[in-house]
Amino acid sequence: MGGPPYDCMSNPLGAVRLTFEKAIGLGSGSETVTHPSAFEGKDWGALELFRHFLFQESGLSKVPILNPKTLRWVQHNSLVRYRGMIQDMLGNEFYVGAYRDIKDGSSWRTNKFTDVSQYPMESPSVTCIWERRLLYCVPVPGQSSWAEPSCDMDPNWSPQSREKRRRMDGEDSDPMDLVPEDEVKSSPITKKMREDGLPSTSPEPMDLKTASSSPGMSTVQFVDKDNLPCLVKIYDSPESDLKLNDVFEFIGVLTFDSELAVEKDDNELSNSFYDDALVHMPPNKVPRLHCIVHRKLAVHDFLPGSPIMEPKPHLVKEIREALFRHLTAVLGNDGVAAHFMLLHLLSKVHTRVDDVAIGKLSLNLIGLSKESVSVFGTRLTQTFKSLLPCTKCLPLTLEYLNTASLAPKKDYQTNRLIPGVLQLPEGSHLMVDETQLESGSLNSIGIENTKILKNLTEFQKVEYDFQFYKVEMAADIQLLIFSDGKSNIVPADVIVPFQPSALESSEIPVAEALEAWRWYLATVRSLPHSIGSEMQKVVEDDLVAARQADRSLGSQDFSRWLTMGRLISSSLGETCLSLEHWQMVKELERLRKERLK
Amino acid sequence: MASDSSPANFNNGPSSPDGSFSSPIPNTSSPAHRRRRGRRQAPTPSSAAATPPPNPSRFANSGSTPTPSRSTKRGRRPDTSPTPAAAATPSSTDDFPPPSSDGGDDMEEATPTFVWGTNISVQDVKNAIQMFIKHFRDAQELSNDIYGEGKYTRMIHRVLEVEGEWIDVDAHDVFNYDSDLYNKMMRYPLEVLAIFDIVLMDIVSLINPLFDKHVQVRIHNLKSSTSMRNLNPSDIEKMVSLKGMVIRCSSIIPEIREAVFRCIVCGYHSDPIVVDRGRITEPTACLKQECMAKNSMTLVHNRCRFADKQIVRLQETPDEIPEGGTPHTVSLLMHDKLVDAGKPGDRVEVTGIYRAMSVRVGPTQRTTYIDCLHIKKNDKSRMTAEDPMEVDKGSQRVDDDVQFDEEKVEELKELSKQPDIYEKLTRSLAPNIWELDDVKKGLLCQLFGGNALVLPSGASFRGDINILLVGDPGTSKSQLLQYIHKLAPRGIYTSGRGSSAVGLTAYVAKDPETGETVLESGALVLSDRGICCIDEFDKMSDNARSMLHEVMEQQTVSIAKAGIIASLNARTSVLACANPSGSRYNPRLSVIDNIHLPPTLLSRFDLIYLILDKADEQTDRRLAKHIVSLHFEDTEIAEHDVIDLATLTAYVSYARKNIHPKLSDEAAEELTRGYVEMRKRGNFPGSSKKVITATPRQIESLIRLSEALARIRFSEWVEMRDVTEAFRLLEVAMQQSATDHSTGTIDMDLITTGVSASERMRRESVLSAARNIIMDKLQLGGPSVRLLELLEELKKQSSGSEIHLHDLRTAVATLASEGFVVLHGDSVKRI
Repeated sequence: MGGPPYDCMSNPLGAVRLTFEKAIGLGSGSETVTHPSAFEGKDWGALELFRHFLFQESGLSKVPILNPKTLRWVQHNSLVRYRGMIQDMLGNEFYVGAYRDIKDGSSWRTNKFTDVSQYPMESPSVTCIWERRLLYCVPVPGQSSWAEPSCDMDPNWSPQSREKRRRMDGEDSDPMDLVPEDEVKSSPITKKMREDGLPSTSPEPMDLKTASSSPGMSTVQFVDKDNLPCLVKIYDSPESDLKLNDVFEFIGVLTFDSELAVEKDDNELSNSFYDDALVHMPPNKVPRLHCIVHRKLAVHDFLPGSPIMEPKPHLVKEIREALFRHLTAVLGNDGVAAHFMLLHLLSKVHTRVDDVAIGKLSLNLIGLSKESVSVFGTRLTQTFKSLLPCTKCLPLTLEYLNTASLAPKKDYQTNRLIPGVLQLPEGSHLMVDETQLESGSLNSIGIENTKILKNLTEFQKVEYDFQFYKVEMAADIQLLIFSDGKSNIVPADVIVPFQPSALESSEIPVAEALEAWRWYLATVRSLPHSIGSEMQKVVEDDLVAARQADRSLGSQDFSRWLTMGRLISSSLGETCLSLEHWQMVKELERLRKERLK
Repeated sequence: MASDSSPANFNNGPSSPDGSFSSPIPNTSSPAHRRRRGRRQAPTPSSAAATPPPNPSRFANSGSTPTPSRSTKRGRRPDTSPTPAAAATPSSTDDFPPPSSDGGDDMEEATPTFVWGTNISVQDVKNAIQMFIKHFRDAQELSNDIYGEGKYTRMIHRVLEVEGEWIDVDAHDVFNYDSDLYNKMMRYPLEVLAIFDIVLMDIVSLINPLFDKHVQVRIHNLKSSTSMRNLNPSDIEKMVSLKGMVIRCSSIIPEIREAVFRCIVCGYHSDPIVVDRGRITEPTACLKQECMAKNSMTLVHNRCRFADKQIVRLQETPDEIPEGGTPHTVSLLMHDKLVDAGKPGDRVEVTGIYRAMSVRVGPTQRTTYIDCLHIKKNDKSRMTAEDPMEVDKGSQRVDDDVQFDEEKVEELKELSKQPDIYEKLTRSLAPNIWELDDVKKGLLCQLFGGNALVLPSGASFRGDINILLVGDPGTSKSQLLQYIHKLAPRGIYTSGRGSSAVGLTAYVAKDPETGETVLESGALVLSDRGICCIDEFDKMSDNARSMLHEVMEQQTVSIAKAGIIASLNARTSVLACANPSGSRYNPRLSVIDNIHLPPTLLSRFDLIYLILDKADEQTDRRLAKHIVSLHFEDTEIAEHDVIDLATLTAYVSYARKNIHPKLSDEAAEELTRGYVEMRKRGNFPGSSKKVITATPRQIESLIRLSEALARIRFSEWVEMRDVTEAFRLLEVAMQQSATDHSTGTIDMDLITTGVSASERMRRESVLSAARNIIMDKLQLGGPSVRLLELLEELKKQSSGSEIHLHDLRTAVATLASEGFVVLHGDSVKRI
């Protein structure tokens, strides 16, 4: 146990034990020992201690991040952080939360935040059973390298070199590079896998190949060096706090005890009783994290240590101008496309009324051929990766449609939710490249996949396949589609014919500019928005007049205009729709219509 | 010998303080008792009662863990039980007397026995159960004959007759008879059920001493049902009931219950040894006095008794999953007859005991499961799939699947009594799609449906109403379709573009494994007794469409292919929607020219709606307002007075199931009259050749529609007003007389009877108000009053609704026709 009584970092369990003993009145000399069942598994003051340590004493930055690299040296039973997306929920687990120590007969011990009791526990002893939730988390899909939390503890890690490598990687990206998880795959092994064709979305591919290469430092032997899933055990949190596909930072006690490894035995009875999922995830492959504190990460939480700036209008306008210029350059001097692109990057689902998702603005750039995509698509991919925390690309080839599993599916054999490409956290950016689609026939998977894509664009919902039934999950994904003509598979909100006038490559922006843009995109997105009653009248009149003039306008068009109005005013850092913004919407729409003719 | 024990020491067992009732059950089972049953000896009723013999299979592997609630008690156990080992050690010899426990029993004869750590007296519980079984009577039994046998006594007799193995006990009955017993049962199910079984055994053996089967009690229908998500450590060892869907069943696991050993030295067969805490204690030495050979006993497999066991996984149904969650699962342990009671995909409600057991992976973890007592399949999707629309079958059908509890039925009936229920339902149907009220009314009729008739001659008349929606793009046709598809029983949604004839009807396929030809159902067959929604009807190939002819009138699909000649039922309502051929509806052309569908097929639709996009500033403004408010106010769009989806589906399915309206005489007369009139109107000069004139099909449609309308009101009789409304719906739908060709708008005034039901109601209320005022104010033969004065008076009385002069004029005109007043210009005079 050594060290000071409150070393939360290296001996968090010691701290837990101390607070526990204090809470039940043990060791304080008083004879009245509170029965631990009174806690019902709830917190007894340990959280306060850790919160204080992490946030008041700014211990947070000292806590090592759990990733394949740090995993080699972090200690068992020490405090770690893990950033990940909740990919699956494995239900509740009952555990012996507190028990009476056999040896001295009277003292109570707790097992909270650990899998193995620290003192020998002989059954049948006096126990309290508590429950905890099991979450299966994976690294955020499509996370950009700059959004990865930096870790000061590892001297060999430098974000610059990594960034560079990634850039080079991206430069020669072939279509297959755009498969899911491409973000994090750069090792030769995974590359080879990619070339095999099928994108593997399973978090535990190929156990054996690299298992032996791991150094003896830790007992954990990982295969996929860049993809570390984690089984998080949640203790004190209401169920509604943690939702599927949310991105969280979990801070808690790490255990990867091989003692707990499940030995395969033929006892069918106990096997079928025991949670199958756990059988398929032995602790030496998937570390366990006993979560003490967790916090939800929004888009701006990914910004690495940027100063929290007030979104002041003049500052915002400056950044907006610069970003707009950059986007225009990336888009070959196509100003209209750049305008829409900017709005598109700021869109997010604000509310849902029945089936309608308000605030989404998917963009379809048309007039792109295979050749031009290879130029502009790559450039855009680069730009997005440097600007947005999570991006992903879908090459919409016939083969891909016919084979990929876009929506997650429940596998009842393993009792796991098999992730799909479209299981993405809120606010992800998704590029769909339709220029590579050739005519041919779709099989049943292909039809299902096109349906899923269509649903996603229209309603921002993905149907998860639970085999006996399907469950619709709300999504919030920015969709950008490249196609030659208007895409019918992914019917976007805005269709903009792409008309580049220059091909020269844009200069690479400086780091400060990138940082400012990232901050801008993350902050402005969540600005509140309102409309004055006068402006409302103007808008309504305009809508009615427009519809009187053109009967083909429908609610979708109106909705698009209003969304654009909102985005334009937020992009300027303002929270209220003004006439000027509304005029800009109309002007943009006019320009777009002209092109469509 | 255990059977030596006389009825006198009835109480002995329970009083033995060895903790029989508190410890997991198997170790409490008296070997003597078990043995006797095994050998088919008539048990004396009470001797076995010493230890509650749990039915051998039920709590079989409870060798598991101490429960948390009881674990503390367990700790105290050594102090409280002086003879702890007496009954717990399974003795396997017949001639092994239990002297120690006898002795203990005698000493403590007087003190009552309690369930461990509680103040529940075993004897009290026993008595309560006996009373319950003997004296419980259903509510109606109570009123009928008070001296007859109780419900459960009768049930026991029946079980004995059919040699059954269990008795289903409704927990509601227990609660109604003795709520205290119910609560005990919920909290200490292991103990109480064990006692329950003993009582049953006693009763059974009293009735038929030779009955050798073990009768178990199966509790079901608990007062409250838990959600799978809410199961928590405090529920352990409690009786719970939950709903879910079976997702996986393990193979059947044989579990040893009694083992027989043989001595390889002398050949002596041991008595059956019962499982204790999931284990069989193998005798270390031959039990025969003369032999006593050590380590000589070997298991005789085919003399052992095994029981079936199965592990089933239950998953939450979609409606219980909170937003952003994945479904939870729980394991069920099924025994004996419960094995294979549920198959993957079944929706079930299970009653059982929630238990925890330690797992190998970690000593600190527990895995949980439910020891299943009772399983009930309830296939209650949104609506009854098998709702009998035929009158003949419907009356005799045993209603088993969807049970509407009385409360719900009352609620629905109350709803149906509201005068504006028709309007209300219309409003509640797809509340986010505005206007289109008449279309919604038509769809409502389709949901409720008419009565199908099968004449003795074999001719049949369908009750399903087919609807076609034709209209401009962007008029929310598809949304309506989607909505109905979600709401309807067995709704199937297909798109005409992607449907082939075989995909809609049925096709013959070769089974890849067996090579057999099998008949696969298409969309129409699958939606038998439901609604088949076909989007983009116009895009469908002619071949596919022609298949619909048969379906829509004969309600069957005939197959003659690959040696299979079959006729499948496809009693489905078709809801199709189509775009006009020239993307926009051309008002100068006829319906048929606009949609390019053959009249033969068109005539099979009862209702054809034109949904036109009218250039109406009011509507546009509403749309604009709606969208602006969507974007700027985070408030919900006010949906006033709307019935929620669940109630709506319940309402529809109750009506479809229980209401079978018949035509009243006057309604029939009205139908005839109206039909003749329609025929005449069809002969108008100037109508193009292809216009559908009224055919016998129309009158069938009218009958169906009126029946559906009566059904909406929960009325067993089709009344005059239903028929009038049916005519109106038909005429609105057909657009024949109502389309103003110059604008494409529908001029409602052109339809003579085109008064909506709410309007009619309002008129009625004005009429009666006017009558009252005239009664009050006007003397018989007195001076006349001007209409405007009457209007003032009316407005004073009814503050809420607005009354216009023309409303009053119509009302007075009606009164005049009754001979109540005379109307001269603007003055009214009572006569």
